[in-house]
Amino acid sequence: MISVNGLKKKFKLTKDHKKGITEAQQDPREEKDYFHSVRDVHFHCEQGEVLGLLGPNGAGKTTTLRMLSTALKPDEGSIEVGGVDLVKKPLAGRKAIGFLSGSTGLYGRLTAKENVEYFAKLHGMKGAELKQRCDELFTLLDMHSFLDKRADNLSTGMKQKTNIARAVVHRPKVVILDEPTTGLDIMTTQTVINFIKGLKEQGTPVVFSTHHLDEVALLCDRVTVIDQGLTCFDGTLAAFKEQGHSEELNQAFMNILEGHRHV
Amino acid sequence: MFEVFLKEIKELLRDRKTLMFIVALPLLIFPVIFAVVGYMMAMANLEAEQEVHKVYIIGAEAAPEFTESVRYHKNFELVTANYANKNDIIQAIQNEELDVGIVIEAKAQPSTREQTTWQVIYNDSARINYLFRYIEELKEQYQSKVQTLSFNALGVTKESEMEFLISPIKLEKVDTADARESWGEKIGVLLPYLLIPIVLTGAVYPAIDLGAGEKERGTLETLLLTPISRTNIVLGKFLTVLSASLATASLSILSMGLWLFVARTFVNVSEFTVALSHITFVELLAMLSLLIPLAAMFSSIVLSISIYARTFKEAQNYMGPLSMLVFIPVMISVMPNMELTYKTAFIPVTNVALAIKELLKGTSEIGILAVIVGSSILLAVGLLAFCVRWFNQEKVLFR
Ligand SMILES: Nc1ncnc2c1ncn2[C@@H]1O[C@H](COP(=O)(O)OP(=O)(O)OP(=O)(O)O)[C@@H](O)[C@H]1O
Ligand SMILES: [Mg+2]
Repeated sequence: MISVNGLKKKFKLTKDHKKGITEAQQDPREEKDYFHSVRDVHFHCEQGEVLGLLGPNGAGKTTTLRMLSTALKPDEGSIEVGGVDLVKKPLAGRKAIGFLSGSTGLYGRLTAKENVEYFAKLHGMKGAELKQRCDELFTLLDMHSFLDKRADNLSTGMKQKTNIARAVVHRPKVVILDEPTTGLDIMTTQTVINFIKGLKEQGTPVVFSTHHLDEVALLCDRVTVIDQGLTCFDGTLAAFKEQGHSEELNQAFMNILEGHRHV
Repeated sequence: MFEVFLKEIKELLRDRKTLMFIVALPLLIFPVIFAVVGYMMAMANLEAEQEVHKVYIIGAEAAPEFTESVRYHKNFELVTANYANKNDIIQAIQNEELDVGIVIEAKAQPSTREQTTWQVIYNDSARINYLFRYIEELKEQYQSKVQTLSFNALGVTKESEMEFLISPIKLEKVDTADARESWGEKIGVLLPYLLIPIVLTGAVYPAIDLGAGEKERGTLETLLLTPISRTNIVLGKFLTVLSASLATASLSILSMGLWLFVARTFVNVSEFTVALSHITFVELLAMLSLLIPLAAMFSSIVLSISIYARTFKEAQNYMGPLSMLVFIPVMISVMPNMELTYKTAFIPVTNVALAIKELLKGTSEIGILAVIVGSSILLAVGLLAFCVRWFNQEKVLFR
């Protein structure tokens, strides 16, 4: 369903970026004026599977997911979603993808309802179809009480629900989430987790990055670990525990990273 | 594209701060400027008229009648002191004991028929000063008495003969510039200073909101993931910024007209309002059609800057210098010898400023106006093309 192979992305370094890099830290990703954020990333995820994308800060998770969501164009490599080549046909791919990140915002001066409807319209929905789909989501996410409030005045939990509705309003075939629970309280985190569970039940594949391994334990069928722009593990949750020599996920994660860096 | 445009407009109309700039500023700036300038002028005049200047006259005995007229003038007070010469008076003026000193060299009398010089010593740097004018008036009165006496002594007694002897030829000025042209020249210098920055201001605030604001709030990325192409997104945003800028421009022109009308009903019909009331509707439209491509140019520029910036703050930092920069072409337009010709019609912004002046004076030429509109549209299209390409670049969107 989702298949990523040999993905590469480099950024031109600006002066600002260069300043941040000290000489002592020799990073294998630096090369003259370029910074190779993603050097070789691959993973795949089938119908009904949830894939957890793990990796330390700056590993290249966001960059990878941005390429997957067609916001960034990869330098090399292929991305296929449901048989569509996203590198060649980004526009077609966008219809198939729902995307949400921890830093995604809403239009503050539009109401929750208007926010969702705007994106529905941008996806080409209209009339009865639009109304029906929106109502369905508003009921599913229990949003009716705050639909007509402006997004600026919503609580974080309400905002996140609106964001979720916005991300899936066009019935995407796959859903991509970049740290969807970062900075959320327990209640709101639960909303997100339930949402991912719901998608899984419907058979929609989900790729999400996270730093919380308990979420991985709860939701994921597959795990991919990225370090310094390279995939250093890609397999089932069971294989992850096995290769990491631990039933405890945090420990397994550390072991895998350690093993990778020593090679 | 239209979907984006509609939503941006909706959001813009709900933003009080931006609305303030788009609507309130042009509506209020003219009455405020008119009122403030009018008030200050009136106050300064009043003060100058009421001011009493301390005078000392050296050689007063040579012109006793003149001295008496100074003494009884409401704006003068003769001080009693003992200044011997010009230097004493200069010293006294510097010490602020005195405002003006008059040194009368010798008596002007019919018997000797020798011209004499009177020196009027005062500090001319004061703001509005009627001092010299008053003294001149008093001198004229005194002088004409001396003249009459002199003519009488020569046997000339008829008024008309005296006039002939003083000035055998009189020049009469017939000004072909009507009131409108001369007022147009004056207002025409001022108006671009207001209108052009207002057009820019009208674009700046929405642009910051639509570009950098979208990045900072984290909505840009999701917008980019919709099937709308980036080109259509940026065009939708451009149209929004342009509309805001044009709304500001039209409101400014409207408000100017409105307040002139109001001023006319309150103030006695002055030359000024009569002159400006000759401005036709067509000329107002022409002014607006000059401002449209200008607004488009500004919109593309500020939108490009705003899209590049990562945050509101960064965008505002860039806009600051820009609003200074925009005065440069306007200043060029008021430089001496700057006139609207087929050459200057190609200097962006400056040409619009010059054309506004011509329109106010009622001396505009349709050919040159067409050149200005044409060249501005070309430039606007070029800038818009740049803006669109700019928005399609990853290094701009994801910094
Ligand atoms: N637009 C860009 N220009 C230059 N460098 C970039 C850009 N985007 C990302 N990077 C660099 O690429 C590297 C990977 O960044 P990325 O955001 O993908 O990491 P991440 O795995 O999501 O990290 P985190 O866990 O902190 O979210 C970082 O070192 C970052 O500085
Ligand atoms: Mg990240």
